[in-house]
Amino acid sequence: MIKTERILHLKSCRGRKVRVVREHYLRERVPCYSSLCQGDCENDGKVLPGDLTHYVVPDVGVVVDYLEILEFRELQGIVFTQTACQAVQHSKGRRQHNRLRTLLNDPRHDCVLFANEFQEYSYCPREKGESQDKWQTRCVYSAAVWYHNHLAGMMDIVMITEDQDAIAEYSSLNSGVYVISIQDFLQEFWPRLQAAHELYSSISQALQEKESEGSQKEFAEHLAAEVLEAGIKSGRYIKGTLNISKHRPQNEASIMTDGLSNKDADMSRGVLVLGIKNRNRAVHGDVVVVELLPKSEWKGKVTALAGGQVDEKSGEENESKPMPTGRVVGIQQRNWRDYVVTFPPRDGTQSQSRNSQRILAVPWDRRIPKIRISTQQADALQDHRVVVRIDSWESTSLYPNGHSVRVLGRAGELETEVQTILIENCIHVPPFSDAQLREMPVNSPENPWRMDPAQVAERRDLRESHLVFSIDPRGCEDVDDTLSVRSLAGGELLELGVHIADVTHFVKEGSLTNLEARTRATTYYLADRRYDMLPAVLSGDLCSLLGGVDRYAMSVIWELDANTLNVKSMWYGRTVIRSSYQLHYELAQALLNGEQAEVPELAKLGPEEKDAKLAQLTQALEMLTHIARQLRAQRDRGGALELEGVEVRAQLDEERNITALVPRQPLEVHETVAECMIYANHWVARKIQETFPHQALLRRHPPPRQDFFRELVDSATAAGFTIDTGTNKALAESLDRAVDPQDPLVNRVLRMMATTAMSQALYFCTGLESQDQYYHYGLALDRYTHFTSPIRRYADIVVHRLLTAAIDVDRGVDPCKALVGYKELEETAYHINSRNVAAQHAQKLSTVLFQCLYFKERDPQTDPRCVADAVIYSIRDNGMLVFVPEYGVKGPVYVKDREGLVVAVGQDGSCEWQSGSVRQYPDHITTTSACGTATFRLFDHITVRISVHSSSCHPDSLKLEVISNKRHCSGEPQQPRSQGRSQLVQEVVRLAEEAYQQAQVVAARRPKLSREEREFSQSKTPNLYSLLEEVRELALMDLEMAAQM
Amino acid sequence: MRKKTYQLPLCCCRCNVGIPIADCIQIRLVIYNPKCIYYKYFWAVCLAIVLPEKGRMGNVVRRRTRGALRCSSFEVCGNMAGLELLSDQGYRLDGRKATELRKVQARMGVFAQADGSAYLEQGNTKALAVVYGPHEMRGSRSRTRHDRAVINCQYSMATFSTAERKRRPHGDRKSTEMSLHLKQTFEAAVMTQLYPRSQIDIYVKILQSDGGNYSVCVNAATLAVIDAGIPMRDYVCACTVGFVDETPLADLCYAEESGGVSSLALALLPRGGQIALLQMDARLHQDHLEALIEAAMTACKGVSKVLDEVVRQHLEEVSVLSGE
Repeated sequence: MIKTERILHLKSCRGRKVRVVREHYLRERVPCYSSLCQGDCENDGKVLPGDLTHYVVPDVGVVVDYLEILEFRELQGIVFTQTACQAVQHSKGRRQHNRLRTLLNDPRHDCVLFANEFQEYSYCPREKGESQDKWQTRCVYSAAVWYHNHLAGMMDIVMITEDQDAIAEYSSLNSGVYVISIQDFLQEFWPRLQAAHELYSSISQALQEKESEGSQKEFAEHLAAEVLEAGIKSGRYIKGTLNISKHRPQNEASIMTDGLSNKDADMSRGVLVLGIKNRNRAVHGDVVVVELLPKSEWKGKVTALAGGQVDEKSGEENESKPMPTGRVVGIQQRNWRDYVVTFPPRDGTQSQSRNSQRILAVPWDRRIPKIRISTQQADALQDHRVVVRIDSWESTSLYPNGHSVRVLGRAGELETEVQTILIENCIHVPPFSDAQLREMPVNSPENPWRMDPAQVAERRDLRESHLVFSIDPRGCEDVDDTLSVRSLAGGELLELGVHIADVTHFVKEGSLTNLEARTRATTYYLADRRYDMLPAVLSGDLCSLLGGVDRYAMSVIWELDANTLNVKSMWYGRTVIRSSYQLHYELAQALLNGEQAEVPELAKLGPEEKDAKLAQLTQALEMLTHIARQLRAQRDRGGALELEGVEVRAQLDEERNITALVPRQPLEVHETVAECMIYANHWVARKIQETFPHQALLRRHPPPRQDFFRELVDSATAAGFTIDTGTNKALAESLDRAVDPQDPLVNRVLRMMATTAMSQALYFCTGLESQDQYYHYGLALDRYTHFTSPIRRYADIVVHRLLTAAIDVDRGVDPCKALVGYKELEETAYHINSRNVAAQHAQKLSTVLFQCLYFKERDPQTDPRCVADAVIYSIRDNGMLVFVPEYGVKGPVYVKDREGLVVAVGQDGSCEWQSGSVRQYPDHITTTSACGTATFRLFDHITVRISVHSSSCHPDSLKLEVISNKRHCSGEPQQPRSQGRSQLVQEVVRLAEEAYQQAQVVAARRPKLSREEREFSQSKTPNLYSLLEEVRELALMDLEMAAQM
Repeated sequence: MRKKTYQLPLCCCRCNVGIPIADCIQIRLVIYNPKCIYYKYFWAVCLAIVLPEKGRMGNVVRRRTRGALRCSSFEVCGNMAGLELLSDQGYRLDGRKATELRKVQARMGVFAQADGSAYLEQGNTKALAVVYGPHEMRGSRSRTRHDRAVINCQYSMATFSTAERKRRPHGDRKSTEMSLHLKQTFEAAVMTQLYPRSQIDIYVKILQSDGGNYSVCVNAATLAVIDAGIPMRDYVCACTVGFVDETPLADLCYAEESGGVSSLALALLPRGGQIALLQMDARLHQDHLEALIEAAMTACKGVSKVLDEVVRQHLEEVSVLSGE
């Protein structure tokens, strides 16, 4: 190594200039990461292929400004220089730098990092008087030349730069090293990559715009980072994530402070930021620093309902009691993502900007400000949804500047809207790449997949000894859990086994499949489709524990005392199983009830044999039910919550989705299976936590904050019940008591409100939380994890690996590096948590989308389906919140509109708008008008009309309008509600079968979509109806999986 | 190092906002509950720690020898400057790999007047060490030990050794402490029992400071002691190691030291593998301590090889000069 010195001029912390001398070591051997390498460099990790026509070395300016173009996977053989990487870190900050790092670490991208400044021959010291840009360009060029020489001239090197001087200076210096501009590069080498060309022009235009900014200040400047840091330390400023109110995006935003800062009670509710000026260019989700305003300027949140309409005149509305109010003084971290915007239709308002190419696009999410985009395609993109990125927001501009990235399609079309939902939730699900699919084992009729004898020898073989069966929803393809139960030792002991698909056998750590699964983190279920976490060959076939075939499994087997059900012994391990029966819930329940049911697996057998087998199966099911009941009772004693039946209890951590309130026949067998899964999860959690106290992945459900229960307690008091929210046990018991014999809905609504008050359950890494934080509130278990669905959750895969390692430790084998460090595990947990939230959110949005599409087709005035019964569950200033059980819709109903008209109730209960006044009381709201006084009480039933409030830029929403204060009489036979439960279930089942057949016919997902789309555009009522039904049915399927919480 | 707690009106020098004492934990040289997942092991120089947010960030309020209190913060395993101390390719800021030492150059016998002297450069840290003795006790005779020699160390830094001129070259708390550490180190290595009732003086001056001052001083002083012909059990070699991204980094430079790395200094008698001094003043997970010490010992053995070469070369030169 050669030692040189590098002189830097840095600023000291007091702002003085300091001359710093740093050592700089150069070495001859720096890996080049090219497969053409002649000098046997130590190229481990990603290596550039040798069969390309050229390597690309981007200049510093290109990496800093045009990184997005380099992110195209089509561009291959990119060599990033260390100089460029450091420049990105300095000028663009940590976020951009991390993005570059992920790019470099991603094996799917063909790019490497060359440490050019540590290479003896490619390093060039900065000369006196040389500007930084010149020096950096020279460094990059010399790296390019080094590459050319190092690869013995076998590969041409293209350096791309935006610096015209550099092109002039260097282009003819060396043969084999070409220096060209990006535009030339794209045109010459990638003429067909249209997206890259568009992105280039949009970025370069955005950059030009930035230079020609006006100078009038619209916002106060942000404070310097050190000042903010110091201010936070001293408690003068408060740091938190900006959360813009969904209902009043123009005006209201709040800061959720995290951690211990809620020393005084005032702060615990967060800090309010009112107005655009005070928000000071912060965008929803940014980590901001706020300064509190003097107490005299504190304000409260507006409590009146505003709905989705943005243009409200604020001022005279009532406010809640004043909260700490502040203004943003600085932004610590921008959390900008890709946003979907709609280009507004061309009209007079746009041309006021002096440059007609600049368009103010309206984001889909109301909480995001309008984004200014300069584009030449403004006319072509009218009413299209476009993905944009925000580049900057200067203090001189009212709106942030951005550039467009990709066009999604025309607004209002189904495909566009679904894509919009995905992008808004940062869900990126490209089809599995060839390289990933190549890793998959093959299972085709010609070349069937077989088990490896070595594996079979290693595993415990349960194929002969155990009766293994699975219970899933009808038509389920990815069976990831199976059960077995038998009695041992003459009935003294019961042996319960839970066998989970052994996904980790197929998905090895470090493989591309694993990487993709980690990125996706979960299977995404949308209303009309799903995006699998694993390729279909695994999720639907080789991992899926189908009936009658041999499969690898990961098993947990307990020996329980037959009477007390205490655990006598435990066994964890890898097994080979063959599931004998692939049951579905209805069938299992029918068997339990002793009804005549046809088990498809037994159809071909003779009658005696069939009866014997059936008896064996039924006995196993009975035993299972017995065990599950006991386990459930044990957990109930601990205080497990049951919120709105099986479905919603499950939802409390998987999703808080209203679709769950769609009626569903609760079968005991659902609970039985769920209970066994909870039990398995719990014991696996215990095992891995005990073996790896610092690096196990568990799931916790923090107790809810008591103030979230206020609405529930208030509503319950109004209905005459007391709710004790002290502990989970007290809550569960008081919810059980709060039953109105007249109206079963009351209890349901109360449970629903309790569900919304719950906090989110989270994955976490032990060792980073203290042990008392491990508790799972909803299930009342001290330790809990997810183990039972590795096909559709990445967390389970991690837990499987941990369990395997734990078993190895027990056997005295050193767990081969399967163990990830706690830091990495924490990162994984964080990632999975955020993906789960995104998945739930996307699912919810897509349900709303389909609901809107359903009602859009109907005329609210005439169609009887648009009129429904609703229950009032909360009272606000100018209206109330209601729940429509029939469609599972929650929403606001106004009794006073913008013009000051109020709802007056006639003699027969019908409502009309008249002028009058509204008074709000804790448990009811009254309107006074010429017709007299009308009162709406909590838990009253009213009739509402459902219509769609549509807007071109934002998502559609449902609008509820009161039409009568009487209970809706459901006389019409075509109402799903009046069909009765069993009929509805039949309907759902029929549709599920249809969907299954459809899936059989159309194997690939794409054609299926287009087919649905075709059906959709026909817009015939039955098809739309079936679409909506499918929404419900999918929600049901997902619920079951969610039930394993 | 004295065990002493300080109670001062704490106040940040940048924004002059006071920090209430109630928010601070007083720090002494104490190992807090060793079962805690982070070693809470602080120096007396650290005065107070503001209650960490979420238990992951600690704010150390450090008192300078003179002037106002300064506020600095560190993350447990990260670094505050945002510098990438160890790149994904495994390079450090200055281009070294994790286990590589800085370039060590040394000369013995640089001064004729003293009994022993040496000059040592380790990267950009440069130190001069001079040894007088063994001679009879000077100053207060009461310190005389009848069974062994007393070692007297003085550490100082040249006023031009840092980027900003240093006002007080020696005698401040940091230097005193360093002197004490050097004394402890050499009492463990020099065979003091051979020279009862006498005194050995070791003076070390840092000419240029770029991290790892303690270890450079020890290495330079070792050469000077050998030059003086005083018998030692073994070379004393010292090295600092830091811990970044689960990797121990050998021989930290100033940029790394100030980047919030938890660093550990270790002085080793390499042949027997005995530790003469181990010092650490940062938080570290106890699971990692073993790996860190292991890395430090490897680094020290590397240093000892270099020193050995220097000594042999010096002997050759000297013997040529004296005509043998």
